[in-house]
Amino acid sequence: MTNTDNHIVRAFGDELSQLAAEVARMGGLAEAQVSDAVDCVARRDTTLAHQVIERDEKLDALQRDIEKRAIRLIALRQPKANDLRRAVAAMKLAHSLERTGDLARNIAKRSLVLADAAPMSPLTRSIERMGRLVTSRMKEVLDAYTGSDLEAALAVWRRDEEVDEHYNSLFRELLTYMMGDPRTISPCAHLLFVGKNLERIGDHATNVAEIIHYEMTGEDMIDARPKADALAPAPAGV
Amino acid sequence: MTLQPPPAVPFRRTWSAAWTGAVAVAVLLAMALADRADGRAVAAAVALVALVAAWQTVRAGQVRAMRLLPRGESGPERPPDPTASFAAAFELLPDPALVVTAAEPEDMASRRVEAANRAARELLRIPRQGALLVAAVRDPEVLEAVEESLFGAMARTAVWESGGVQERVWRVWTTPLASAPERRVLVVLHEETDVRRAERTRADFLANASHELRTPLASLSGFVETLRGHARDDPAVRQRFLAIMAGQAERMARLVDDLLSLSRAELNEHVPPVGAVDLRLAVADVVDALAPLASRRSVQLETELPAEPVLISGERDQVVQVVQNLVDNGLNYSAPGGRVCIELSPGLDAEAAGAAAHPGAARLSLLTPDREPGRRYAAVRVRDFGPGIEREHLPRLAERFYRVAGQKSGERPGTGLGLAIVRHIVNRHRGGLSVDSTPGDGSTFIAYFPQPDAVSG
Repeated sequence: MTNTDNHIVRAFGDELSQLAAEVARMGGLAEAQVSDAVDCVARRDTTLAHQVIERDEKLDALQRDIEKRAIRLIALRQPKANDLRRAVAAMKLAHSLERTGDLARNIAKRSLVLADAAPMSPLTRSIERMGRLVTSRMKEVLDAYTGSDLEAALAVWRRDEEVDEHYNSLFRELLTYMMGDPRTISPCAHLLFVGKNLERIGDHATNVAEIIHYEMTGEDMIDARPKADALAPAPAGV
Repeated sequence: MTLQPPPAVPFRRTWSAAWTGAVAVAVLLAMALADRADGRAVAAAVALVALVAAWQTVRAGQVRAMRLLPRGESGPERPPDPTASFAAAFELLPDPALVVTAAEPEDMASRRVEAANRAARELLRIPRQGALLVAAVRDPEVLEAVEESLFGAMARTAVWESGGVQERVWRVWTTPLASAPERRVLVVLHEETDVRRAERTRADFLANASHELRTPLASLSGFVETLRGHARDDPAVRQRFLAIMAGQAERMARLVDDLLSLSRAELNEHVPPVGAVDLRLAVADVVDALAPLASRRSVQLETELPAEPVLISGERDQVVQVVQNLVDNGLNYSAPGGRVCIELSPGLDAEAAGAAAHPGAARLSLLTPDREPGRRYAAVRVRDFGPGIEREHLPRLAERFYRVAGQKSGERPGTGLGLAIVRHIVNRHRGGLSVDSTPGDGSTFIAYFPQPDAVSG
């Protein structure tokens, strides 16, 4: 009797940690997709771009798999409190990471178009810098997840504005280029979307931090995060 | 395969056979590979594999011996226990090494770290034993290599960028140690940041040097041309031109100096500095050195230093260069009659150290160190009361050669490399850099350095 009970409890714990391991693996894949996508733009690497586009399917498959496992676990085990939150959080995280992957795929697609246009090295350098910032943000928040480190997750959450500042600066830079030479409008528009995608990937990183907070405490984050607004009135001349 | 040595029993013969085999294999392979570029590292990995294999053979031999021989019949002499020294060798290897086990192919949670040596524990922030593999490394390429060694019994290599602010790059070797039912893989990481960085830095240096030196060179040859031609016999014009040429030559020299410092700072960015520096003394030295320049510009240098020495972990020359570049910038952007304030505050946590000095100012972190809970930092704040910087320029400030459009940096223009150098040096010191600025009201640059544990607080 006691033996079977123990067995059931252990199997349940195994399933939960399997779920967490799958989420971590998916996180690693999403991280690699984002940093490869940025490399595509920076190095005009079309082979890599095709790889990134192809690999996105893997992320989708992982998300479906995690969702299926989580639902099965909730249905069969009917977990309570902490355990229920872990299962729900795994589903939410998989969703967020899948969206991140879609954005990375979109960046890779745009890099294919950009590779046909003339190189714009100062701009791609800004993209690269922003990309590196966003990937480091993702790395930190996923480290926080695998290490169950709430403080580290909160640190990522608090520093979201940095990505926004980079995006706003890039926005101005691109406007200047487009006004100076209308022939650059088409590549600049693509770069603008690349920047926007990176900014949204940054948002997903903060979202992941929020999910970690929910998973570990059961509470929502209500504090308003400091935000640098891209749509704030621009100074004259822009 | 825990790292505790089991009780000693006679097994000298098995041990010496295994040991000799391991050494022979390692030496042969090392010799065969020595002329390849990465031969040494490969040979090290091979030797390690042989070592661990030998260790396992010995353990198997011991188990057999224990089954055959009843306890207490362990013979008169007790040989030294080699498993203990194998375990110690594994533990003390300078390269991070892991042994990973797995049960089923479908179950990610069954891939666990069975043993991690000290270097691996420090790098991956995992315990000695029992961590999930995905908690240690998530990179898909590395996971795939481990997978193939686990279930395909193949040795593989992969490249892994460990992320973080120092951007380190590793070559990962995975080698099967045992196949089903107990699947076991050795994973060894060898740092290749040096090689990567040297390639990139050299390319950057050449590109920057040729691009940036072209303008002053063109101007110099233009003046030479004129001096040879119609200005040959006009002493007044000659004097004026020579002065300009001297200025250009000086600028070129400064540029080359700065490019060299930048390359140096970049090359050893991932190597933490050894030693401790008194930051208070460094600031005082810089202020003394720059006092003549400041008084020529009629700018006042004001300092606010604590009474005690402020120790930070760092390399003196580089720390001085950071403070000097920041104060230099402050002087360059100050109008005559202005002032530059230098303030030093120790014992802050990372967040407080990089926090905005002035409410309402636009603030941005140009460099944030990897999180280290409990670490204390000493911050140098350099404030000028010049024109300030518009918000949209802040993210690009530490970019090499970036100049804020429409700003004059005084009679002695900088090379545009000062902050880039500062950023690389501070990153090497595992510190941070941030800026806050209000247009029309001046800017504050904050560089903060980690303090050694003993004197924190």
